[in-house]
Amino acid sequence: MTDAVKPGLLGALAPAAEASPLSATRPVRRLLIAALVLLVALPPLFTYALGEPYLIALVSRMVILGLAAVSLDLVLGYGGLISFGHAAFFGVGGYAVAILAFHARHGDKFIGLIPSSSDMLVTLPAAVIAAALAAALIGALSLRTSGFPFVMITLALSQMVYFIFVSLKIYGGDDGMSMHGRNTLAGFSFADATTYYYLCLVLFLLFLFVCRRIVASRFGLVLRGCKDNERRVRSLGYPTYGYRLVAFTIAGAGAGLAGGLLANLDRFASPDMLHWQNSGNLMVMVILGGIGSLFGPALGAVLVISLETVLSRWTDHWMFYLGPILIAFVLFARRGLWGVIVDVADRNV
Amino acid sequence: MSPIETSEPLLRVDGLTKRFGGITASDSISLDVGVGEIHAVIGPNGAGKTTLIGLLCGELRPAAGHVYFAGREITALSVSRRARLGLVRSFQIPSILPNLTVAENVALAVQTTLGRGYHFWADAGRNEALLQPARAAIAELALDGRRNVVAAALSHGEQRQLELAMVLATKPRLLLLDEPLAGMGAKESAFVAALLGRLKGRISMLLVEHDMEAVFALADRITVMVYGRVIAVGDAASIRANPEVQHAYLGEEQA
Amino acid sequence: MQLFVEQLLNGVQFGVMLFLMAAGLTLIFGAMGVINLAHGSLYMIGAYGAAFAGARTGSFVLAILAGCAAAALAGVLIELAVIRRLYTRNHLDQVLATFGLILFCNEGTAMLFGREPLFSEIPPQLTGSVPLLLGITYPVYRILIIAVGLVIALLLYLLLQKTRIGMLVRAGATHRDIVRALGVSIRALFTLIFGLGACLAGLAGAIAGPLLSVQVGMGEQILILTLVVIVIGGVGSVRGAFVGALIVGVTDTMIRIFLPGFLLLFLSNTEGADALAAGLSSMSVYLLMAAVLLWRPRGLFAAYD
Repeated sequence: MTDAVKPGLLGALAPAAEASPLSATRPVRRLLIAALVLLVALPPLFTYALGEPYLIALVSRMVILGLAAVSLDLVLGYGGLISFGHAAFFGVGGYAVAILAFHARHGDKFIGLIPSSSDMLVTLPAAVIAAALAAALIGALSLRTSGFPFVMITLALSQMVYFIFVSLKIYGGDDGMSMHGRNTLAGFSFADATTYYYLCLVLFLLFLFVCRRIVASRFGLVLRGCKDNERRVRSLGYPTYGYRLVAFTIAGAGAGLAGGLLANLDRFASPDMLHWQNSGNLMVMVILGGIGSLFGPALGAVLVISLETVLSRWTDHWMFYLGPILIAFVLFARRGLWGVIVDVADRNV
Repeated sequence: MSPIETSEPLLRVDGLTKRFGGITASDSISLDVGVGEIHAVIGPNGAGKTTLIGLLCGELRPAAGHVYFAGREITALSVSRRARLGLVRSFQIPSILPNLTVAENVALAVQTTLGRGYHFWADAGRNEALLQPARAAIAELALDGRRNVVAAALSHGEQRQLELAMVLATKPRLLLLDEPLAGMGAKESAFVAALLGRLKGRISMLLVEHDMEAVFALADRITVMVYGRVIAVGDAASIRANPEVQHAYLGEEQA
Repeated sequence: MQLFVEQLLNGVQFGVMLFLMAAGLTLIFGAMGVINLAHGSLYMIGAYGAAFAGARTGSFVLAILAGCAAAALAGVLIELAVIRRLYTRNHLDQVLATFGLILFCNEGTAMLFGREPLFSEIPPQLTGSVPLLLGITYPVYRILIIAVGLVIALLLYLLLQKTRIGMLVRAGATHRDIVRALGVSIRALFTLIFGLGACLAGLAGAIAGPLLSVQVGMGEQILILTLVVIVIGGVGSVRGAFVGALIVGVTDTMIRIFLPGFLLLFLSNTEGADALAAGLSSMSVYLLMAAVLLWRPRGLFAAYD
């Protein structure tokens, strides 16, 4: 039974879901800090102790997809926009990095104009900008609609992006593009998995921090209002199309950053990154983790990847079980894992 | 307090016509609202009063006619553009943001007075420029005690009060009020009517209402509509005495 | 000339199949307010059911019936178990739950039949071509598909516009009280509508089987095109679905066939031109959709909201 009263004007963590006194609970804050410490310290220790260094790559993947899921939460949880095309921006980011690396290796320029690089100072911003551009274009068109058409259009347009990349044989086509090595950062090499993990973690935390500021800001208030009652927000005087487009673009940019990081992790950019099933995957992470809370989706990424890893050891057809799990969450545990955690923490205040 | 006399009315409607398929919901409607005036629009059900509000706020496009606000033509402007110019509307069923608290709802409205532009960084919850006017508007509508309650948990009457607090917080020049007293008990009605009375002269209003007592008490002028057409305009006394108006309402119980 | 007419008819045939999918999906959304992403899975189930029955019995008619029945049955089960709980939920919940259904159905099918395509071929009586006008010949099977599709379109039209059930279907979403007042169980009506949509999808899958390959994932490819059809035609409009489907079917087919040759006039590198043409062809319907959206954001035949 949620208490309808929220102390403070907006609540420090401004969750977009039903009023949960997230802001009030100190136990939750302590939990978060503890999780943060674990996140930073444990994985490397854990993997060395177990003698399975590949696990650090797995945790890096969790962090990277967590970043993508958080970016999706911005539009899905706070904007109320059911975008089924987020994978397109994720993939554009990944391909931006891979393409630049490709041209850098060949010593030529991308479409003869853009100088290429293997330096993260260039490639990651490039990934972000490319994804933001794609998001701005797709958003500009899709946001003219809402509801079911919006879902369909974002899905269709992201599939179009998929087809574009699959048809570019020079960039791998169906098979994807491999990179010879990870990007460097002003000469500093990230060949070591643990160092790369820390980079991903830092960028993830930065993005999470930025999103939290956005959500608590005046812009965030308008966005959340649009999710609730767009007609009212427009009647107050806000050009809601513009606000939604900006949010959509920022979310796309975040996804692009994640894509660029994943390409670097695997040293490979695959068309699967763009596939609509990946969009679905990200949405699953958001809902299982806890929509509209930013922290939840990050948790959701951990959950889904863990499930995938564990279940796929048992059976090739692990998605057969993910389907009903997802349905069960949607029907019975809509606030996701984060919602459960908050409830438990509240009861033990 | 009588409306301030100015040469140019704040809102001028000229021959506004709207058709839905075969039905003419608005038939060449003309009226005007002066600065500081409360102008009521009354009429039996089906008269097209809500359609008129829709046309004036910008949600509906007219088939013909013009709307002028503060001297400029706004017929082609969008809803949000008109609201920014100071023409703000309330809805028949209170339109608020159900998952935000009362304070957040009002803060959102206050924000519109702080200028254009996106602000991504500063915490809105600590912005005094927002909190101060929000508190004032909330107090004016007697919702202090409910400041941190999620809007969906409010009673119907409180939701209407919230909506009024919001529209007032935008510092409007003219309010389009669509049955602000509908569904309210006697005490709440009196409260809102008293509030509107206090605002008279400060904010202009176009008021669609069925509550005749409130209409005759508040309105400077009254326009009567029947089946989409204006049949009479005048002050309370002349409208009450108008035989056509009486005929239109014949047999109807007054609120 | 032969090529042109042949491809044009292929486009019509593809459009007809898209119509079978789109009509069901748009009805389900229009009447019940549910976004059903699992519609592609019902198509797949129809294809598998027909291929399986066809291989076992050797009868084409039985295969088609089996496909429709399998899809209809699956549809009813899905409606009772999952969809029923989504009527009062928001769109996001519907999207996610039906996405979960896609995962379940795809992997379930893979578990039963494996990931390799299932064998399915045009029955011997229906192979071969017949002459049409002007010495142009066209495959019998495809003519059959076009005929079946047009008949179904006509039947649907009659059902929706001229019968009591059709009126109930059209009234369902917006006027539940009226429907209830007429003594009709809303639940039963919705199950019926969903089953009908599923049957149409299954039919599309069953007849498509011999032409396209029957494998896991075939549903999603056609689902996306179906969504494009609905966007172009207008959500909730069966008429829009018909027109939209024909437009999409013909555009996609014609551009795929004629664009590569057209491009070769300008580009010298054949391999690059091929890949580019393939990419552009795939894009063409989406660009068409974008163009329609810019002109009419709610589609060509937007039903009343």
